[in-house]
Amino acid sequence: MSKRSKKSDRWVGQSMIRVDGDGKVRGRTQYLNDIPYKGVWQGVVVRTPVAHGILKAVTLDPAFDWSQVVVATAEDIPGENIVHMHDRTMPLLAAVGGEIKYRGEPVAVVAAPTLALAQEAARHITVTADELPALLTLPEAIKIYKSAPKKFDTMQSKRIVKGDVAKGFALADEIITGEYWAGHQEQLYLENQGVVVFPQQDGSIWAEGSLQCPYFPVHELNDALRLPPEKIRVRQTPVGGAFGGKEEYPTMLIGYAALPALKSGKPVKITYERNEDILFTPKRHPVWVRYKTGVKKDGTFTAIECDFVIDGGAYLTISDVVMFRGILHCALAYRCENVIVRGEVARTHSFPSGAFRGFGAPQAVWGMESHLDVVAARLGKKPDELRLQLHARPGDITPTGQVLSSENGSTACLQLALKRSDFARKLKESSRGRLKRGQQKLRGIGMSFFGHGAAFTGDGEANFKAKGRVELALLEDGQPGVNIRVSSVEMGQGVHTVLTQIVADAMQIGPERIRYPMADTGLVPNSGPTVASRTTMVVGNVVHRAAGDLKAQLEAFAAEKFFKGKACELRTGKFVVKGTRAIPFAKVAQAMLTECQNISGKFEFLLPPEIQWDQGTFVGDAYPGYSWGVNIAEVEVDALTCEVAVKRVAAVFDIGTVINPVSASGQVEGGLTQALGYTIMEKLGTGKDGLYDATRLQTYIIPTILDVPEFDVSFVEYPYSFAPPGAKGLGEIPMDGLAPAIANAIAAATGRRINQIPITPEVIYQALHADSKGTP
Amino acid sequence: MKHITFQLNGSARSVWVGPNETLLDVLRGKLGIKTPKEGCGRGDCGACTVLLDGKAVRSCLILAVEVEGQSVTTLEGVGQKGPTALQKAFIENNVFQCGFCAPGVILAASALLAENPKPSEAEVREALAGNLCRCTGYEPIVKTVLAVAKKTARQSTSRRVRS
Repeated sequence: MSKRSKKSDRWVGQSMIRVDGDGKVRGRTQYLNDIPYKGVWQGVVVRTPVAHGILKAVTLDPAFDWSQVVVATAEDIPGENIVHMHDRTMPLLAAVGGEIKYRGEPVAVVAAPTLALAQEAARHITVTADELPALLTLPEAIKIYKSAPKKFDTMQSKRIVKGDVAKGFALADEIITGEYWAGHQEQLYLENQGVVVFPQQDGSIWAEGSLQCPYFPVHELNDALRLPPEKIRVRQTPVGGAFGGKEEYPTMLIGYAALPALKSGKPVKITYERNEDILFTPKRHPVWVRYKTGVKKDGTFTAIECDFVIDGGAYLTISDVVMFRGILHCALAYRCENVIVRGEVARTHSFPSGAFRGFGAPQAVWGMESHLDVVAARLGKKPDELRLQLHARPGDITPTGQVLSSENGSTACLQLALKRSDFARKLKESSRGRLKRGQQKLRGIGMSFFGHGAAFTGDGEANFKAKGRVELALLEDGQPGVNIRVSSVEMGQGVHTVLTQIVADAMQIGPERIRYPMADTGLVPNSGPTVASRTTMVVGNVVHRAAGDLKAQLEAFAAEKFFKGKACELRTGKFVVKGTRAIPFAKVAQAMLTECQNISGKFEFLLPPEIQWDQGTFVGDAYPGYSWGVNIAEVEVDALTCEVAVKRVAAVFDIGTVINPVSASGQVEGGLTQALGYTIMEKLGTGKDGLYDATRLQTYIIPTILDVPEFDVSFVEYPYSFAPPGAKGLGEIPMDGLAPAIANAIAAATGRRINQIPITPEVIYQALHADSKGTP
Repeated sequence: MKHITFQLNGSARSVWVGPNETLLDVLRGKLGIKTPKEGCGRGDCGACTVLLDGKAVRSCLILAVEVEGQSVTTLEGVGQKGPTALQKAFIENNVFQCGFCAPGVILAASALLAENPKPSEAEVREALAGNLCRCTGYEPIVKTVLAVAKKTARQSTSRRVRS
């Protein structure tokens, strides 16, 4: 089943074979649409025809036969018409007489025994609305932010203040400003969204689906469905990719499916097809970020002033925390005594933006790392030298006043990446807009440096107290083993494998005796949502401690029953006491299972008491720990066609302890590839009709196997010692920094600074043929 | 409706199909064959790839009536007596993450190696250009296919030497 190097008796640090690999490679993994449910009806969502207006009527065609169909509207909501996310403003369904705030807002859910009938019925429902003027895009909102700030409609504001920027600007030799834009990005998990809701006899519901956060619906649909948490049970099916896209949205989808299910008593499944999934699920927040920086001639920052505005869409959902994470990363990576960062969540009449790998950090890093190269160019400094000079390192104080610990590989990341990429030489050889004779391609190299706060923002983990259990059980072969019981879901990132490795080491039993069943809120304690690069770090620590607890219980039992009270130790599958014969795990476990019930180890995650955070003032320790990274991109820009080819990417990360090196590299390469798409390919705007302007994979272009560069991925390990085995966040940081590295490389190649992504050939063409020179 | 007969994973199967039903719909909806996945339904993603007379095709773009008399292979029909060398290597190298693209990638790569046992890296990339993967960045897929091709070539060479 597994491979482990002969040199080590530990599983952590080994590239153990994925526990879900066999099922996926041999086609035995059943995703939601592969499961042969019987008697399940299919649901279809009916939506608003305008982006802004008043909903006049929802009319059912009297000529249609409605006897085989159930239709649920806002009137059928058992409780309050609300999805309780970070605020309580968003209705589950738009109600007649109410305000429509975005195009495609759900109005009704139709369910029928077949999808064809449900779709046919949906076509016989007419939704009418009185249209009102709509504000659809971030550029429109920013125009107001700049010209009439009092009229700017924000859903959440937050400031970070350190020192005194006015004083800082007074000390500056130069003041350098820049504005940077980024568009929407679609997660484009290959398995579309889908859930099925089974109404139960006692009025409760049981939902299954492709989702990241099984406990979210349990706590967010209570008011709408008028069901207490214990009457909403949610189980994950194997997830065919998520990337944040299945964080908050499946709650709504379960809410939609629950309405016709509760009304009819039939189980109802809703699965989206690709175009519906692209049009009507949340995207990465578009951003506008403006930097004003005061610098000394020697390169030091005297002040950083930053405005960070994201497009939240029509409802807040989770955008406040996306903005928080964004502003916490806007000035994280460099030394500066005087900082002010202002964050806003703009309200527009567009689909509510949502979670996507990075969660605000990629937008912040895009701005900061583009701007740093602008600063370097203005000062006549090399971008690598300026970063080596200014980067945050142990003992430095972040904009929120957090002292960076020594568990910080920022300097090591920079040094290793610069060396591996031969940066200095290649920068010197960059084209700077000049083609040599016979050349058609402009060449350039660019870099970025960044940190990523691991786990929940601010006091999130302290308040949440992630819970987990490792329980002794008879496995399917009738022999004893353990079950890992946490709510963290496997969505491709490898959590089933890495937590198995962690438990194997902590328990000292082989991974073949460890199972990690699919998360089911009826069976698992709440270890939290599978988000925020927190699972290996936080939940990994929870199962490490819980396994240790279970091991101690087994050892106490074994000492009493098998070793006449002498203390024993469970080591590599055997209970040992010096001078006596070892007893295998199975024998002791079997005896304990016969004598005792509900044997399990438990743990609840706590942060060290010195970690302090003030959510009101945004002062204190913003994250329990930080991962660090450097990305270096080499590009070729075709001077004739303006196409950009990213040829090579060197990436170095400090993610603390690397649990499974092969899987970690795979996750990094995948994240870098999504970031590649974000930077040069994936373009998604909003049309005048309020709909996204790309609806399928021929218009929303993601990287194929022909588009990816050569990757050179390495890790430096500075473990998070408070939470053994010492992982910091990995999931998101590969998405954070490639966009500015590529833009900086394009600047080195073309001599032109491009301050918006995606950088399509059209954008390059305009930059190369603009009358006035851009800032290199 | 038309009654069609074709070879499915080595056995003859007969089924009634409508004129507008795709092979993907018939496999998944009528024949219980679930490894071809629907990722887009219009030939963009490759998740529904199957082999039609040994060639990799997108089953969402093939009408079921077209396969009359032909041979269709899905992942259910690959490695029935244990994983193939390619599957073993994909498992050992932790290649896939979410796994949703895996059936299509494995079939497309199998078709390539059957036709061209010693592909260059460019040929591997060309053969898999129609299979989207959002998790891996493709690097481990390319490396694994090339490694399996190299190993198979070495083994067949040594067999020839022995005989």
